[in-house]
Order: sequence, then C-alpha cells, then structure tokens
Amino acid sequence: MEFTALFLAVTIVMLVAWRGPRSLALTLFAVTLIASVATYLHHATDTLKLSF
Amino acid sequence: MTRAFAVTLNALSLYALTLVLAAAFGAQLVLHELPCPLCLLQRIQFAVLAIGPILNIRWGPRPSHYALSLLAAAAGAAFSTRQILLHIMPGDAGYGTALLGYHYYSLALIGFAAAIVLLAAMLLFDRQFEAKAATPQAAGAFATIAVWLVIGLTALNVVSTLLECGFGACAEDPVFYQLLQHAV
Repeated sequence: MEFTALFLAVTIVMLVAWRGPRSLALTLFAVTLIASVATYLHHATDTLKLSF
Repeated sequence: MTRAFAVTLNALSLYALTLVLAAAFGAQLVLHELPCPLCLLQRIQFAVLAIGPILNIRWGPRPSHYALSLLAAAAGAAFSTRQILLHIMPGDAGYGTALLGYHYYSLALIGFAAAIVLLAAMLLFDRQFEAKAATPQAAGAFATIAVWLVIGLTALNVVSTLLECGFGACAEDPVFYQLLQHAV
C-alpha cells in the first residue's frame, strides 16, 4: 500500500511541478523523498550476508 | 550552453526516464515478473528523478532543480546497492531475470550512477542560469510530450502497484496480483 501511495505522491508532485507553484512543488518533493527513504529504512531489516 | 539547449537536454532526459519506466513495465508484463518492494522503490526513485527536469522545463534551468535530481539519484543508488548486496553471496541466483547479463537492480545502479555524472556535467555550464525566469516558461511540443509521457507512466505505476500489492503490505517475493486474485 505504501508503494502505491508513493507512486501517487510522485505523480502529484510532477503535476504540481508542471502546472502549480514552484515553492509547493519543492515542498512536496522534499516530503516525497523523505517518505521514500523512510519506507526503505522500514523495509531494510534483512541481515546482509556478505561474502567477504 | 544556452538556456534553450539546456531545456532540450532536460526534455531528452525525460524521454530517457520514460524509456526506463517503460522497459520495467514491459519486463513486468511480458516476462510476468512482478517487482519486489525494493524494485518498486528503485522505480519510484527513477520517477522522482524526473521532477528536476520538469521544473527546469517550466521555470528555466536552476541549480536547485538539478540538486533535486541529484538527491533522488543518490537515494536510488543507495537502494539498488542494498539489493545488489542482498544477492552478493556466491551461488545466489539473484532476483528476477538477468538482462544483458545484469539483473534489473544492477542496471538500476548503473542508471543512477550515470544520472549523477550527467547532472554534475550539466552543472558545469553556467550560461544556462544567467537569465532567471520569475514566471513559467512556454514549453515546446517536444518537451511537453516528454513531460506528459513520464507523468502518464508514473500514473500507470500507481494502478499497477495497487493491483499488485492491494491495500495491505506488498509481498516480499510477489508472484500474483493481490487485487486480481481476490476478484477471481
């Protein structure tokens, strides 16, 4: 569900960047980037089995 | 580099990102390989990468717009590196089909690294930043089509991801579309 929400958020940011105010696009970009990094950190719980 | 040429290069970068998103979609539909959560995150970062060029086309090239794309590419590179490390053990077949000898996440890392180098190269040319536009700029057909193509493909990913993951958590190793399974 969170990935659908992220894709939707990126689509909205793109539309705002193309048609809306620049400052709003920059703010929404920051929120979306932070949300995607937070999603990554939430999912990055597997132990890395490195070969060296 | 003139402002007009920089805008054309930004439009070209949107076509390149459209190609990446379309290729990922093509592999998903033709090979019936559903993207895993980390794969989806990398796709999302390719889409986020497009926001900088869209702003450059509408408001004119600005260093801050290139900075947005650099941040997106750095995050995408980190995500794809993570997935490469998950499959680095000898004997691990990797996730999904290899294309030209590389798995999608390896190709994604190459793509994000190339984006970082190209963005840094674009920032070398100061002339494009000389006349800062206070109002939105009129875009030509070439750039307008590029913008709508990348927005359309990202919107299609909203539908595809909703079908794949449904309204719950996405499967670690998805093999069927959650919503279509429930509909049958």
